[in-house]
Amino acid sequence: MKFGAMFVDVLRSVFTRPATRLYPKVRTKAPARLHGKLYWDPKLCTGCTLCVKDCPADAIELITIDRATKHFVMRYHADRCTYCAQCVVSCRFKCLGMSNEGWELAALKKEAFTVEYGSEADLAKLFAVEHPGEGIPPAGEKPASALE
Amino acid sequence: MTTESLLQQAESLLATMSRGSTRPETNRLDVVIESSGLVPAVSALKNARWGYLTALTGLDLGVEAGVVEALYHFCSDAAVTTLRVRLPRIGGSVPSIYQLIPAVGFYERELAEMYGVTVTGMPDDSRLFLPDDWPVGVYPLLKDFDPQSAQPVKVPPPPRGSSTGERFIIPIGPQHPALKEPGHFEFTVDGEIVTAARMRLGYVHRGIEKAVEQRNWIQSLYLLERVCGICSHTHSVAYCLGVEQLAQVEVPPRAQAIRELIAGLERIHSHLLWLGVAAHEAGFDTLFMYSWRDRETVMDLLETVSGNRVNYSANILGGVKIDITAEFAEAIRRGIDYLEERSRHYLDIVTTDTMFLQRTRGIGAMTREQAEHFGVLGPLARASGILRDVRVEAPYGAYTRFPISAVTAQAGDLEARFVVRLKELFVTCNAIRTILDNLPPGELAVKVPRRIPAGETISRVEAPRGELFYFIRSTGGDKPDRVKVRTPSLCNWTSVLHQAIGCQLADVPLLLAGMDPCFSCNDR
Ligand code: SF4
Ligand code: SF4
Repeated sequence: MKFGAMFVDVLRSVFTRPATRLYPKVRTKAPARLHGKLYWDPKLCTGCTLCVKDCPADAIELITIDRATKHFVMRYHADRCTYCAQCVVSCRFKCLGMSNEGWELAALKKEAFTVEYGSEADLAKLFAVEHPGEGIPPAGEKPASALE
Repeated sequence: MTTESLLQQAESLLATMSRGSTRPETNRLDVVIESSGLVPAVSALKNARWGYLTALTGLDLGVEAGVVEALYHFCSDAAVTTLRVRLPRIGGSVPSIYQLIPAVGFYERELAEMYGVTVTGMPDDSRLFLPDDWPVGVYPLLKDFDPQSAQPVKVPPPPRGSSTGERFIIPIGPQHPALKEPGHFEFTVDGEIVTAARMRLGYVHRGIEKAVEQRNWIQSLYLLERVCGICSHTHSVAYCLGVEQLAQVEVPPRAQAIRELIAGLERIHSHLLWLGVAAHEAGFDTLFMYSWRDRETVMDLLETVSGNRVNYSANILGGVKIDITAEFAEAIRRGIDYLEERSRHYLDIVTTDTMFLQRTRGIGAMTREQAEHFGVLGPLARASGILRDVRVEAPYGAYTRFPISAVTAQAGDLEARFVVRLKELFVTCNAIRTILDNLPPGELAVKVPRRIPAGETISRVEAPRGELFYFIRSTGGDKPDRVKVRTPSLCNWTSVLHQAIGCQLADVPLLLAGMDPCFSCNDR
């Protein structure tokens, strides 16, 4: 039996640095395997939609631009995604991966969470279909992808 | 006794009540009984001290079959005996077995409100999970449930807290400054002494058991992982084991070992979290802050290894997603060395600090007999001297290759619960080291078909809070037909509510915390 069993711990803490991390002033590097934002490589995709079927959160859509030549656009909803990486495992062609850098995902507008991936030309085609008569946005300015 | 002889014993005990029995799996016995035979059957098992009631599953066989089944699962080591009572879909009735097994109280209330089965003779038949404004006669787990029919109805305001003479009912929760969890308790007090206790759940019920019936087998994994944010991995292991059993696939040894490893890290995180919460409830905030600071070590390890901090998503059906390379193994070794040293220090503190011991020693003591009577599980049972641990009684996955030894204590009071959980950390650290030293080589996963063969299975795993029970039924499709989840918290409430009676009201918060209740596990 003793009084103040944690007294030494407390005393020692007076002379050590606080355990609190100073984020956002000091950014720690995320672990290499961190499940951050999803990315997609259109070149390898066959359009099998297994990733879409297995996603538990309904977070990915695969939009067909031209099935014969295997042109697709992936619309990813980062706000619905649970970062489980099931889609990465489901894809047999290794089109999908999760970035360990895209984890500061806060945004003021909901639109910022909808990201479209695809080749420049395919994205432009999709934009033309979805926004008839608005004119293609200038190159480099992908529609509604303010997450980067 | 071997599993086989246990099952034979159960079969002969139930012979007079049985209307037919089957052996669906090597460790299981299903006995069909009539509802009039339920009480004699349960008495027979109880009098012979054949295991304990682990869960009560409701099962709707569909509109065409016109049958709802109530399944009473009893476990003794690895053997599971299920009493199957077949009832008409509308107007079915079973007698309550509360007088024999008090822990069944919550299960019977759940069966009644989710399936519309009348349970006659329940001491408390008020709503447990469904909201107060849920319409009467609408049962959400029936297959033909129409969400449109669940329009809220008007309910009269609840009665004012009544007082008769010197007695008061003190309501606590669901919003209360001293209770940070969404539960509602009513403690009747006479002066400072509690004379009766009740509780109400369901404030954050998510209907996960219903929701998985609309998702495919893979999607369900992630939903079930989210039953609990603390033992998420254990839930996904329980589900995976069940599905893999139904699909008859053999998970590679390396994947099994990695599952046990993650489960070990999760147990460390859970117990350290609990240590902090329990210390906080006792007013010992220094211990709370230091234990939570140290818990960050294991959280960081989990994040490094799996990529996620809470829902690790380490499992897939058929194996795991992640490998443990030498570099990760080194990081884990370093982390658990530090944590083990800290845990020894904490064990020293909780067993010697005079002030703290006044809040824990001899408080809420539960004898072995009481613990058995209330059917408690996990560290709560082990602190009362019952060796109840699925990892030891019915080893699954890698626990056959990397066994652990169960920690028990005899006193059954709050102090014993601290000691058991802290000593479990040492056992877990050692198990993790053994796994890292002997990680089997090989594949990480095998293929599991998208359609799972029809059948029923039971999977039991040991979560940090006690035995987690899954009943999984497939009809051969790409979606589960039924997944029943019985979490350890739901089991342990009964004992704690009974124990609160006769205690000082001031001891109740610590008594509740001593059980390590998980509200999100309750409100699946
Ligand atoms: S990480 Fe999971 S939730 Fe996110 S898109 Fe992939 S499968 Fe869907
Ligand atoms: S699983 Fe892979 S190949 Fe199939 S649609 Fe998805 S990204 Fe394309």
